[in-house]
Order: sequence, then C-alpha cells, then structure tokens
Amino acid sequence: MTAVVGAELAEAVGRLGPFDAAACMNCGVCTAVCPMGIAWLPRRLQRAVVLGLEQEVVAATEPVYACLLCRLCEVSCPAGVHITENVRTLRRYLNRRVFGL
Amino acid sequence: MNQRLGVYICHCGGNISDTVDVDATLAAVANEPGVVVARTSMFTCSDATQEAIVHDIEQEHLDGMVVASCSPTLHTMTFRGVARRAGLNPYRYTQVNIREQCAWAHTGDRAGATRKAIRLVRAGIARARLTEALEPTVVQTVPRALVVGGGIAGLRAALGLASIGLGVVLVEREPELGGYVGQLGSLYPTGRSGGELIRELVEQVRRQPAITVHTAARLVAKAGTFGDFRVTIAVDQPPAGPGGPAGSDPAAAPPPSVRAQVGTIIVATGFTPATPELGAYGFGIEGVVTLPEFTRMVDAGPGPLTAGGRSVRAIAYIYCVGRRDPSAEGAGQGCAQYCCTATVHTALRVAGRDPDVRQYHLYRDLRTYGRYELLYDASRRQGSVYLRFAAEDPPRVSRDGASGRLAVAVSDRLEAGAAVEIPVDLVVLVTGMAPRPDPQLAEVLKVPVGRDGFFHEVHPKLRPVATVVDGVLVCGACQGPKGAGESVASALAAVGQTAALLKRGSAELDPQVAVVAAPRCTGCERCLAACPFGAIGLSPTAGGSVAVIDAAGCKGCGACVPTCPEGAIDLLGHTDQEVTAMIDALAGGTPA
Repeated sequence: MTAVVGAELAEAVGRLGPFDAAACMNCGVCTAVCPMGIAWLPRRLQRAVVLGLEQEVVAATEPVYACLLCRLCEVSCPAGVHITENVRTLRRYLNRRVFGL
Repeated sequence: MNQRLGVYICHCGGNISDTVDVDATLAAVANEPGVVVARTSMFTCSDATQEAIVHDIEQEHLDGMVVASCSPTLHTMTFRGVARRAGLNPYRYTQVNIREQCAWAHTGDRAGATRKAIRLVRAGIARARLTEALEPTVVQTVPRALVVGGGIAGLRAALGLASIGLGVVLVEREPELGGYVGQLGSLYPTGRSGGELIRELVEQVRRQPAITVHTAARLVAKAGTFGDFRVTIAVDQPPAGPGGPAGSDPAAAPPPSVRAQVGTIIVATGFTPATPELGAYGFGIEGVVTLPEFTRMVDAGPGPLTAGGRSVRAIAYIYCVGRRDPSAEGAGQGCAQYCCTATVHTALRVAGRDPDVRQYHLYRDLRTYGRYELLYDASRRQGSVYLRFAAEDPPRVSRDGASGRLAVAVSDRLEAGAAVEIPVDLVVLVTGMAPRPDPQLAEVLKVPVGRDGFFHEVHPKLRPVATVVDGVLVCGACQGPKGAGESVASALAAVGQTAALLKRGSAELDPQVAVVAAPRCTGCERCLAACPFGAIGLSPTAGGSVAVIDAAGCKGCGACVPTCPEGAIDLLGHTDQEVTAMIDALAGGTPA
C-alpha cells in the first residue's frame, strides 16, 4: 500500500506543541546513539511526521513511549534538532489519536 | 656533428639509484664517441649541480649535453636554462628519462633497469651528437582580442581586456548582447536580477571605446597564427522591413563581412538548456515543466503561482533528469553542477513568497557545493522536504484521468525505500545544461569538441582556459556546465591568460617545427591534408608549387613528416637523422 505524502499530519502534531524537524538532514546519528537501540527512534519517526505518513507513526506508538527522554540524541544532533521536545509533542498526539485521551 | 658532449647521470636522491646502478651506467657510457665530461650527481636539478654544469660547458667548451634523470616534462626547461646561461644553445640539450622509464617501471629488477638505462643514455648521446642550434620564432603580437559570444562570460572578458589596455572585438550571434543570464530574474546566491546585471554590463561595454561590438554576427574565417590572427566576421543583414530599400533582394547580396586583426581569440559561446525526452518523468504531461520554465513562472510576478488556472499548493522537483546516466550519449553522462543550487535557490524564492506552498525535492545526490550549502540548510528550515531516490528506481509522474490530480510516486531511500505518493500541482524537472552545437565555429577555430559536446580545455585544473590551439582560449559554459559566478571566474582567467600572451608585445614560439626541403618537394599536397593546424600552404615556383610550413602555425606534431613520399619534410629537433641514430644506439652495439 503506497502511503500518500501530505502536510496535514505535521500540522495536526504542530497544533499540540512544538515539533520542528525541518533542519534534520537524515544523518542517523540520533538512531546510532539511542541507548534503547530502537531503529524507529528518532530519525525515521520524525521523517514519518514530516512526510505525513500517519499509519507509520501510529504503528510506532510503542517505540515513542519506550523513549527515555535521555536527550543523548539531542546533544549529539549536528543539525540542532530539539528531538526530545518533538517526542513529547508526538506523545501528546498519540494520546489523543490512539488512546482517545 | 657535436664532438664535445657532457653527460650527467642523476641519482634523484634514491628515486633512480635505488634501482638503477648509476655508477655502472656512467662507466658504460663515459667512453662513447664525443663524450668529454661524464659525471653522476645526487640531485642534478640542484643549484650546485646546475652551476657545476655551467662551469663544465664554459671550461670544456661543450657543444652538446645530456642529462639522464626524470621525465622531460619536469626538467627540460630547467636544463635548457642551464645551457643558455653557459652560452650553449638550449636546443643542444637532450634529456633522457631513466626515473619513470627505468627505476619506477622496473623496481625490483636492478640489472634489467640498469641495462635499459645504459641503452637509453647511449641513444641520448647519439642524438646529442646531431642536435643543432635552433632559435625561437619571434612573433609580434597584436594588442587586441576577439571575444566570441556576448553572454555574461563574453561581456566580462571584454570589459576585463579593455581595463588592462587591450582592444576588443566582441561578436554576438544574436541581435542583442546578453545571452542566457540576461533572461534570468534572480541569480544565486545574491538574488540579483540577471537581466539587470547584464544591462549594466552591456552599458559599460557600450561606453568602452576600446570595445567594438558586432551583433547578429558570426566568425566565419580565421587565418594567421597566435599573436596575429586575421579573422573574418559575417554580419547578418537586418531583415528588410517595410521601410527597407525598395527592390532589394537580400538573397542576392552576400552578408557584409568585417575583417579584424587580433592576438588571441576567446570563445564564450555558452550553452543551451537541456530538454528532457518526451515522456521522461512525465515530460509532456500538463503541469510538468523544466527548471528554466519554472524560474520564468517565478520571475513573472509577485502574485501566487498558478498552473492550469489553479493555485499551486504543492511542488515536486525531480533532480538529475537526463543527467548522470552512464548509458547516455554526450552531456548526459556528467553532473551539470549548477542545477542543484539553482533549484534550491528557486525553492527559497517560492517559500519567501508563500510559505505555505509545500515543496518536495526528489534527488539522487545533492551538490549545493561550497558556501551554497547554506542555501540547502535554509531551504530545509523553510519547510522544503528532501526525498532521495535510487538511479535504478526513478520517480514516476502521472496525472489521474478521472480526478485530474498530478502525482509523483517514489521510493524514498531515507525512509528505508518506503513507496510513497506525493500529490502535487506542479512537477519541475531539473535538467541541466547541454552544449550548444556550433560545428562551423569548431571547424574555423579547430578547437576540439569533447565527447560531451562541449569545447575542451587542455587540462581542467592546470590549463583551464587554454586549448590545444595557441592563442585560442575557452571560457564560460561553452566548456562545460557552470554557474554564472564560475563562468565569470573563467572569463577573467581568459583575460589574465591573454594579458600574459599579448602585453609583452612579442612572443617566442618553439622552434622545433617541421621544415620542407624545397628542392625535393613535388607539390603533391599530401602534407597539407595531414596538418591538423592548417599551417602548411603552397608557394608557387617556376615549375609548379612547393609546400611551405608556417613556423608560427606549426606545433611540431610531426603528422606531416611520414606522409611525404619524397621524405622532404624534417622536424627540427627530431630529425630523421637524429631518430635513426637513436634507434641504432638503442638496438645496436654490444649488449650491455
């Protein structure tokens, strides 16, 4: 099933709090340093939001909550993306979208 | 025949002597006929050894010398200089290469490398016995240059030449100066209008009395040689309008031509924007445009972008269309260099006008090189999304018949190859630059055209604006894809090169050229056809005609020599006699 790219998801997430992954250049340092070793975190997750791939984001609910918010990725990010902030905002989105909170 | 030769064999530190037995080589050649001085040295090119050679030449009255060291490319001029300082004609110097050809080619075979070195040095000595004194051909140079092409490179070259006191003849094929940049609205990275920039340059050119401009004109003939070319420029007749001369028949009158005498010729004929094949990446579908078409849409006005009457809310850019394809002919194989940055710059302009337009960049590799990386950074921060595709799995563009929606399907390599579909209102194909074919100009100037269809310089880094034809220079996008800034840089390089060639007023040319022994020439004209530089002409004699070689036009390539059925042509510095003697010395004698 081909996913359709759009800006709506990023806009919906952005309404719930700060979410800015525009500067991400997909280098993958964040994924490499993640102590949880979860491949989804955080590069692909942010990318799925930017591209508007909602199904993928929803499918990644568990990894998003597995994040320790340790900020190791954030201090390592060469593009200065506020990754932890993005994860927090994404949790807010999933609270509503998946758990109906 | 030279009877007092000096022979110098170099260790090159150890580069040579680690493999070649230098002392054995010296012993084997020291008693060759004519050798009066034979020595080895650690570094023959060092100041001390050079002075020792000068001393030998003066004290021993040497009439020829041989240095067995490295490649002639490296040190021929060095040792010719040594000879000159000692009062020996520089062309009586012979260099033998025992480093690349012996030590480096046969590392690990000391005996074999030494045997080869001995034979090569013997051949060098055999040649040195026969070398003759030659004097460089001196040509007086005309302090004026011809610039072909009135785009940004040609205009800047003309102004640069005028500013250093050289005259300029500027020839433009179109009725107006300005070229491609003149049609552009905004140049990266400054955002300056190309049209405005060109207008300023044209105005400066018009004000400059040293520059003569011919528009709607073409270079049709070139005679003479470097420093003193005589060129013919055909000027197209303006189309006879209602106010034109009555009864005139433009077909009957040949186009008026202008003659000019110039010292160098700078080719700045530019490029042509590449057009994709119909059907490639949806080219031909409504809403699929090339980058030049898109920039014109952006230039057109400050209002919202529209396509097919609808407001443009989402754009997909597809990079490297028709480029970097190993199976492609001509220019399609290479990277067009300027287009990544030009696209990112245009995307920034779109975002600056309407931040809500969604922009998707589908790229193979992104090369916003140098400081233009900052533009790429800025575009991401402004919301441009970059998706990477594989060359073997390019994006597919389609327009749905029922809904009429335009969409691009692509596998995003940054998302583990996930297949995604992007609904858009406009697809921009980033197509790059193609050469502007001009076989007539290439024929007139004899400038080589590369397999990519662009004019070729001698070496992209070491001689970036020189061509194999002395005095003919290339700059700008006619030698390969370039941005406007790079085109101007190369135009100014051509100005600098011209200054070096013309500002002295005269130039010395290599005297190692072909000469015809007139009494043996039958005037068969075979050599005329063999000369790639058009340097051979016919001179009438009482009984017919003989070939005459222009010493200033001859490059000493030797192509004419074997074509002569009478053996009447010899190449000075490499005469048949010298070459035969070298072969005899290499192959004959006692085995070393």
